[in-house]
Amino acid sequence: MIYLQLFLSFFKIGILGFGGGMAIISLVQNEVELHGWMTPEEFIDIVAISQVTPGPVGMNVATYVGYTAAGTVWGSLLASFAIVLPSLIIMGVICYLYERIRSRWSQNRYFQVCMRIIRFLVVLLIAHAAYRLMTPETFIDWRSWLIFAVDAICTLLPELQKNKATNLLSHPILLIVLAGIVGWLIY
Amino acid sequence: MIFRLFLTYLKIGTFTIGGGYVMLALIQREVVDRRHWLDEKEFLNMIALAQAAPGLIAVNSAIFIAWRVSKNEVHAHQRLYSALCVAAAVLGAVLPSIVIILLIAMCFTQYKSLPVIESIFKGIRPAVVALIAATVIRLARKI
Repeated sequence: MIYLQLFLSFFKIGILGFGGGMAIISLVQNEVELHGWMTPEEFIDIVAISQVTPGPVGMNVATYVGYTAAGTVWGSLLASFAIVLPSLIIMGVICYLYERIRSRWSQNRYFQVCMRIIRFLVVLLIAHAAYRLMTPETFIDWRSWLIFAVDAICTLLPELQKNKATNLLSHPILLIVLAGIVGWLIY
Repeated sequence: MIFRLFLTYLKIGTFTIGGGYVMLALIQREVVDRRHWLDEKEFLNMIALAQAAPGLIAVNSAIFIAWRVSKNEVHAHQRLYSALCVAAAVLGAVLPSIVIILLIAMCFTQYKSLPVIESIFKGIRPAVVALIAATVIRLARKI
């Protein structure tokens, strides 16, 4: 039963997951809450680990949630397979169409408007994921908010500079490792 | 070629940490600069398509690039050859994730209750929310 649930949930996420990793996290969160696979804290830890380990974030989350929900290696393999399957089908169709119309689609005005709307919705989706992770369990005191503020500013540093050069301080892996060290020292 | 696609994407899958722009830069270096499988213009088309389609961008790009590369060679069973190329690239892209996460998931559940791990994660949790919130602001400027 749990395997069927996992397959259907991640297959659905594979179909609806526009915008890659971060957007997919919010969809996985929905399924996790719906089926009660784990607590919000357990889920946020999985997101953190998925971001500091190698591999696409969405794939890491799928593998990890699959393992935790089913408690077996099969659960994680099934979740990974289920999230890739829609990609194979949909990208297969897109590749076929791409061959037919080549670079012409990008000049189409209606297509451009559609893409703009999709991009806007994707940003909203990611914002919603961030909002829902702001629970009292995550932000336990003012020090949590300080870590949040410093990390957000560091990540946005390249945007503030004119040349948009990526500096070392805005590297996500470095920021997460530093936050871990700070947590270890102050809590 | 099938094996080379697998190895290239195994490398991309292993060194993609945190996703997003890091990964696209890595794909560009491997696929455009080193292997010359695509030129810059087609690479941009690939990014647009991989992002527009639902699913993981890394997996979508693996499918698209493997399919394009498979057309460069003429085979008796062209469809089967393309399918094998795509399967090899996708497997390479997801294999590092599955292996590493499974190892961590099996160990982490045992050490989770340690106070040290708990305090480290108290620091990490708000940082993760900050990274997601910052992504919103960065992407909102590019709509």
